[in-house]
Amino acid sequence: MRYLFFIFILFLNINLHANEINLFTTRHYESDIELYKKFEKSSGIKVNIVTGASKPLEKRILEEGDSCIGDLLFLADAGRLYSAQEKGLFKKTKSENLEKIIPSQFRSKYWFGITKRARIIYYNPDKTFSEEIENLTYESLADERFYNTIAIRQSNNVYNQSLIASIIENRGAEYTKKWLKKFVNNFSRQPQGNDRAQILSVAANESKFAIANTYYYALMLSGKKGKEQQLAAKKVMPFFPNQKGRGTHMNISGIGILKYSPNKDNAIKFIEFLLTPDAQKHIVSNSYEYPIIEGVKPSKLIQEMGLNFVQDDSTKVSSYGRWQKLAFKLMQEAGWN
Amino acid sequence: MTFIFGVFSAYLVTFYKFYGVNFFKYSLILSFAIPPYIYGYSMSAFFENFGIFYSLINFFFEIEDANKFLPKLSPLTSIIISLSLTLYGYVYLISRTSFSSQSANLIDLGRSMGFSNFKIFLKIIVPCARPAIFIGLSLVAMETLSDFGTVSYFGVSTFTTGIYNYWFIFDNLKMANFLSLILLFFVLILFAIENSMRKNSRFHSLKNDGRKQKIFLSGFKGFMAFLFCFGLLGISFILPFFQMIYWSLKFPEYYESLNILELNINTFLLIFCTASILILIALITNFGNRVLKNKFLGFISNLSISGYAIPGIIISVSIISFFSILSDMTEINFKNVFIGSIFGLVLGYFFRFYAISFNGIKSNYLKINYSIDESSYLMGFTRFKTFSEVHWPIMQKNIFFIFVLIALEIIKELPITLILRPFNFETFSTKAYNFASQDLIEAASIPSLFLILWTSIFILISLNYFFDNRK
Repeated sequence: MRYLFFIFILFLNINLHANEINLFTTRHYESDIELYKKFEKSSGIKVNIVTGASKPLEKRILEEGDSCIGDLLFLADAGRLYSAQEKGLFKKTKSENLEKIIPSQFRSKYWFGITKRARIIYYNPDKTFSEEIENLTYESLADERFYNTIAIRQSNNVYNQSLIASIIENRGAEYTKKWLKKFVNNFSRQPQGNDRAQILSVAANESKFAIANTYYYALMLSGKKGKEQQLAAKKVMPFFPNQKGRGTHMNISGIGILKYSPNKDNAIKFIEFLLTPDAQKHIVSNSYEYPIIEGVKPSKLIQEMGLNFVQDDSTKVSSYGRWQKLAFKLMQEAGWN
Repeated sequence: MTFIFGVFSAYLVTFYKFYGVNFFKYSLILSFAIPPYIYGYSMSAFFENFGIFYSLINFFFEIEDANKFLPKLSPLTSIIISLSLTLYGYVYLISRTSFSSQSANLIDLGRSMGFSNFKIFLKIIVPCARPAIFIGLSLVAMETLSDFGTVSYFGVSTFTTGIYNYWFIFDNLKMANFLSLILLFFVLILFAIENSMRKNSRFHSLKNDGRKQKIFLSGFKGFMAFLFCFGLLGISFILPFFQMIYWSLKFPEYYESLNILELNINTFLLIFCTASILILIALITNFGNRVLKNKFLGFISNLSISGYAIPGIIISVSIISFFSILSDMTEINFKNVFIGSIFGLVLGYFFRFYAISFNGIKSNYLKINYSIDESSYLMGFTRFKTFSEVHWPIMQKNIFFIFVLIALEIIKELPITLILRPFNFETFSTKAYNFASQDLIEAASIPSLFLILWTSIFILISLNYFFDNRK
C-alpha cells in the first residue's frame, strides 16, 4: 500500500512539472526521440511522450476532455489529422511564422504539416519497356494492358485510402468506383504485407509494378534491412506518376495543439522547432521523408531518386480525410481485401 | 491445427519412450513464451522475398533466383500458423495431464481386442480425454477471438478486425462496441460449454492405477516421434528465438537506443502491482464464496472472469469511457487518476486477467475438503484465522504459480499497455511494437528477446507446477 501511495505521489509530481510538453504521437521513429532530446537541451522544455495508434489516442484525448494533460498530437497521415480536427481535438493556432514557411495545402487552421512522403510506382527496368511507362498515371494502372501486374498492400491501410481519396477528390466518386473495379482486376496477387513487401515482389519478378511510399524504398537501399534487401531494391526503379497532370500523390505527417493544452506556449515553440532547417534535416535524414520547408535537402538516397518531379500541390491534403471512408467502402466493394 | 499439434505431441510424450522424451516433455511448454504477434512478425520476415529463408537457400545451394522456392503463404495461412504454433501449448498441457491420469486397464482392453496403437489412440485415448481437450481448445478459441496484434499485422478480415475497421476507418465506435458485445456473447457460450464439460469430466476419469508402462519406440518409429517433437519445438520456439538472436547480433546498433533497465523496472512494476491485487481479490472472493455459499455471489464472480476473452483494446476503451462518465456524474476528477496512469493499466489488466487468478484459486479451494473448514471452526478458529492458518499454508505454493501465470500474460500484453499507459512509459512489448510498426523488425528483436527471455525464465522456474496443477 505504501508503494502504491508512493507511485501516486510520483505521478502527481510528474503532472505538476511545469516546464514541459506532453506529446501523443503515432510516429514510431527512434530518431524523432533523439530530436526531442535536442529540443530539451536547447529550450529547457522537457518532452514527455506516449506513442500509439491514432484512433485509441483520439478516444483517450476526447474522453479525458479538459483534464487531458496532453499538449500535442502528432499523426502520420493527412486523413487522420482531418479526423482529429473534425472531432474537435485541436485548438485553432495562428502563427504567421508557421504560415509563411508551410505551403497552404499542407496545413489548416488546426494543424501543421511537418514532413511529406510520396506514394509512387516501382518497376523492374529489365522487364519493362520505356514506352510502357511513359506518361504513366495512377489512373492508367487500370488499363487492360496491365492485367496481372500490380502489387499493392491491403485496403485497410491508411496510405492506400488517402491515395484513393485523392482520386475521388479529383475525378469524382462515380469515376473512382468504375476505375477501382478495373484496377483491382489488375492485381498480380492477393494484397498482403507492408509497402516494402510490394517492392520485394517486383524485385522477385512476381509482379511488374508496385505501389509504395518513398521512404520504404530508401530504407531498403540504406542497408538497415540487410544486404539482401539492399540488392533487391537496386533491381527496382522508382517512377513518379502523373507528371503531365496534377503531379505525384503527396501525403504528410502533421502536428496540432490539443484543445485543452496546458502548455500552449511551449507547444508552439516545439512546432516552430520542428520546422527549423536543422530539425527538418534531422527528421528527413533518418526517416527518408521529404522536408516540408524550402531549402532543406532530403536524404541522399531520396535525392538520388530524383527531386525534380511534379508534386500534386493542387489537391488539398485535408480532402483525403473527407473521402477516406468512402474510399474504403469503394475499395471493399471492388473486391480489394 | 492446435488440436493436432497439442494432442499428438502430448500423446507421444505420455505413452512412449524415445530419445529425448523427457526433454520434450518440458520444453514443449516453451511455446507459451512467444506472443503470437511476435511470432507473426518473425515468420513473415523469414519467408518474404529476399528474406532469411532466401538467404539460406542462396547460401547452401547457390541458386540465383531463390525467391521461386519460397512458400507463398497467404495472410490467412500465416495467421493460422502463428496462432496455432504459439497457442498449442494449452492443448498440449491439458491433454497431457488428462492422458497421464487415464487408466491402463482401458488401454489393455483395447490391446486385447487386437486394436493397433493408432486405433487405441483414436478410439480410446482421445475420446476419454475429450473434455480436457475441449477445455484446451476453448482456451485457444478465446485467445484467438481476442487477438489483436497478429490479425492487424497480417490485415485479414476476421470478426475482430471487423471491429477495428468499424472503429479505425469508419469512425463508428458504437458499432464496434456492439460487435464486441456479440463477441462477448460467443465467448460466454464457450464458457457455458466449457463449464458443463468440466462437470461431465468428473464422471469420465477413472483412477490411474499406476501400472501403466511406456512403450519404447525404437528405430524408425522412435526417430519419427523424435522428429515430430523436435520439429514442433523447432518451429514454435527455437527458430523464432534464434532468428531474434541473429538479428540482435547483426544489428547491434539498435541496442543502444534501449534503456533496458527502465524497461525491466516498468515491466516488473506492472507485474508486481497487478499480480498482488489480482491474487488478493481472487482470494477474498473465493473465500467469501466458500464461507457464505451464496448462489448469486457465485454467479457474479463467475461472470467477472469473462474478461479474459474481451480484446484488450475494447477493455481499455471501456475504462476510458467509464471514468469519463463517472467524472461527469460525480464531478470528481477520476480521469487524471485512471487514464494514462499505472492505476489505469493495473485496472485494465485486472479485467483482462482476473480469470486466471480466480480460476486458479478456485481450483485450489476445490481440493481443500470442507471437513477441514469444519474441524477448524470446531477448534474455535475464526473465519479469518481459518483462512490464514489453514487455507493459506495449503495454497501458498500454488499462489506462486498463479503469480507466474499472471506475470506471463502481463509481459506479453500489448493493446491495454499501449493505450492506457502514462507519458514516457515503455515496456518490452510496446517497444517491440513500436519498432515493428516502423518496419524495423530487426530492431524489435532486442525487446522481443528480453520479453521471451523473461517469459521463459518464468516458465522454467515453475515447470513442476505446470504438470501438477493444470487440471
